Amino acid sequence: MAGQARYLDPAIVARLGSIDLKAKTIVEGFLTGLHRSPFKGFSVEFAEYRQYLPGDDLATLDWKIYARSDRHVVKKFEEETNVECHILLDVSRSMGYSSHEVTKLQYASFLAGALAYLMNRQRDAVGLLTFDDQIQTLLPASARPGHLKTVLLALERLTLGARTDIAKPLGDLVQAIRKRGLVVLISDLLDDPDRIIEGLKHFRYRGTDVVVFQVLDPHELSFPFDRAARFRDVESNHEVVAVPAAVRDTYRARLDAMVSNFRTVLGQNGIDYTLLDTSQPLEVALLAYLQTRRRAL
Amino acid sequence: MGGLSFLSPLYLLGILAIAVPIALHLFRRRTDVIVEFPAIRLLTQSPVEQQRRKRLRELILLALRVTALVLLAGAFARPYLAGRILAADAAVTVVAVDRSFSLSAPGVFDRARALALQAVGDAPSTHAVALVAFDESADIVVPPTTDRGAVTAAIGALTPGVAGTRYAAALARAAEVLGPRAGQVVVVTDLQQVGWQGAPRGGLAQDVEVRLVRVEAPLQNLAVIAAERRGARVEAAVRNFGLDARTTVATLTVDGAETSRLTVAIPPQSVAPVTFDADTPAAGAAVVAVADEAGVPADDARYLVLDPAAPTRILVVVADPTSFRGGLYVERALGAADEGRAFTVTVLDGRRLSAWTSEQMAREHAVMLLGTRTLERRGRELIGTYLSGGGSALVALGPDIDPATLGDMIGAPTAVAPEPRDLGRGGATLVLEDTRHPVLRPFAMPAAALGDVVFEQYRAVGDAGRRVLARFSGGPAALLEQPRPRGRLLLFASDLDNRWNRFPLSPAFVPFMVEAGRYLTETDRQPQSWTLPSVPAGVPAEPGVHLSSPEGEAAGRRVAVNVNLEESNPAPMSPDEFLAAVPRVPRTAQPDVVTEARKAEDDQRLWQWGLLVMFVALAGEGLVGRRAM
Repeated sequence: MAGQARYLDPAIVARLGSIDLKAKTIVEGFLTGLHRSPFKGFSVEFAEYRQYLPGDDLATLDWKIYARSDRHVVKKFEEETNVECHILLDVSRSMGYSSHEVTKLQYASFLAGALAYLMNRQRDAVGLLTFDDQIQTLLPASARPGHLKTVLLALERLTLGARTDIAKPLGDLVQAIRKRGLVVLISDLLDDPDRIIEGLKHFRYRGTDVVVFQVLDPHELSFPFDRAARFRDVESNHEVVAVPAAVRDTYRARLDAMVSNFRTVLGQNGIDYTLLDTSQPLEVALLAYLQTRRRAL
Repeated sequence: MGGLSFLSPLYLLGILAIAVPIALHLFRRRTDVIVEFPAIRLLTQSPVEQQRRKRLRELILLALRVTALVLLAGAFARPYLAGRILAADAAVTVVAVDRSFSLSAPGVFDRARALALQAVGDAPSTHAVALVAFDESADIVVPPTTDRGAVTAAIGALTPGVAGTRYAAALARAAEVLGPRAGQVVVVTDLQQVGWQGAPRGGLAQDVEVRLVRVEAPLQNLAVIAAERRGARVEAAVRNFGLDARTTVATLTVDGAETSRLTVAIPPQSVAPVTFDADTPAAGAAVVAVADEAGVPADDARYLVLDPAAPTRILVVVADPTSFRGGLYVERALGAADEGRAFTVTVLDGRRLSAWTSEQMAREHAVMLLGTRTLERRGRELIGTYLSGGGSALVALGPDIDPATLGDMIGAPTAVAPEPRDLGRGGATLVLEDTRHPVLRPFAMPAAALGDVVFEQYRAVGDAGRRVLARFSGGPAALLEQPRPRGRLLLFASDLDNRWNRFPLSPAFVPFMVEAGRYLTETDRQPQSWTLPSVPAGVPAEPGVHLSSPEGEAAGRRVAVNVNLEESNPAPMSPDEFLAAVPRVPRTAQPDVVTEARKAEDDQRLWQWGLLVMFVALAGEGLVGRRAM
């Protein structure tokens, strides 16, 4: 476990090669640990064969066994699925911030890649939408094996956008999704909380399950600065002169209030909310996803 | 009058360095530390530092930095207040007031003050005025100033001292005050004759006028001119400097209690002995005093210490102390000094000396070496170490001296003949070569001549690198001094045990040995009496019995300090005699304003204050700067 678990460390993952290798490494490491955990039931491993019955999908027929034994057998998986998953990834400029080896966008892309890999392995249809104040990339959901590669390639080629405006792309996506499914939002949520919450509620109105990952840098969480400085917003260039020692407590209180607000209000609307620290392993995020997905089935 | 001036104004260019902090201040406003931070919305409503307060703090920082730089440049430029420097062509009247103790008779110094004030008032209005007070030394009480009120106040504060008069010192100081300026010197004094004693110390420029203001002082004065212990008695002498016979009361006081009182009649211009027969304590502080209401009070008392003098230790090393010739004459001669109090003499042969320790040896103030025949290695090492450590010695090159052994001890070739030589039939006498030498000075008078002493044998001693003090008639060196870095070494070319000569039987032998002992131990003796103004460090320069605690002594010892009795003689000179004695030098130099400015800068030391304030500014900068972090 320890050997695999270290590949959940974002700093180590960042040094791996292509995004598909990263995604595979993360997921395999995660699942290896998971098999020895109470979440074994979420495995998407092959479970058993059974006799073909009329009405079964011919795609599940094992043609190799039919050729050897002349018997019609279908593969049975632990978790049969047909969930349509959409990963909404924030690529606004604020996601480029980093106080260590991994930017928030990198962390978010690792997470998106791992989720896509996991979803594809579960035969879920995976779609990707990147946005800043408007939709940058839109890959419709699909369960085809080759689609995963398209998603991962799109994640590999991410570029930072402009300002964050989560509500607008959310509204566009709500219109585009016709089927009940799962929406995963990965963002730093440094936007108007009310508009974000309002946008996410629309998915719930349509019966879509929503998972929100708020990705923040450790410096955003602790505000550890010690010298007086002019703090500039990377998106708006708005500046605030502050003495960290004087404002640190207030900052943290406001951050806690924001997180608490998201957790409470989103929870009240059946939306799972998880705060992620870019210095922490990705395991937390994957677990949160699996819990939500089980509820979506 | 002027304001602030600078000796090295070019350093003021350093003030341009203030452009650096000013530029940094202005530049910094644009180059604050900028931190890109996404969660700025959480900071927007936070209590950030008040910009106005920050600006004020930065201005204070800038002011402190600029102040520090300006002060640093100013300090290097060596500022001074030019207002305290007289104009180059300003003339000066120097009022020199005699404060010697001859002016301490009742009412006399009051008259001196009044006359000095009058001299200030009479000084030309264009003159600056300076005040010099003098006795055996002279002090500038008020440097040249146009503030006559300051001079008047200083005159009011003058008091007579306990020292004598030295006009040369006063005039030299006046010349220093005047420098190259024109002016006059007004000397306020009682015109004592003794005031011109002592070495000349330069002179006044020829065009400087000297004006005498005579202070009338009484011409009669009694003074206790001597007081010393003689066994259980105290003997004193009282001098009457007046022209009339005087009768007075003399008292002896020991440790504050009067022990004896006598009436003394003293003829005019004479000395009367006074003997106090009362049993005098073995130790204590005593004072012999006479009543002299009209005369100078400072010399009416003479102080003495009754404590036994610290013994001056002399070690006499002989070949055989049991014989009659084993240092007997030397021991007796040294024992005669000051009735046996001057020296503590130890006579040892070489074998007993070997049992001594280095510490015992180091306690001896001098060594007289009469015989080396019984000296063992240990004894030779002790004496050798003693001499190389700065000890003093007299070596009598008699029959018991082995020149080779002597060489081991004095650490140099002795150039002493191993065998004695005869001085011919009838012998030879001593001929003094250096009568100013302290050992031979008492024999300079014909009555005390050493010429009657007959010497029969001697050892030839080389005089290369040595100073010959006396020779035997015929030429051979008889008494030599070998220069040494530390300590003294006398070589006597014959013996002192009545074997090669009859010197020990001569009346000159005792004073010769005593003077030799004193000369050898001079640097180690601890006098019990001092005469002003010469007193050792740690002893107050005023008449009385004081405790002296020189470095290295665990407990203090009593010493008596008395006035210089030359000053007791009130005999005056005429003004003409005084003026004729004033030394003059030609005027050559012109007023040197730069020198004056340098002196003013040196006196005022404003740069030190500038640096002090600069450090305070830097400390404040650090404090304010830290709060801004």
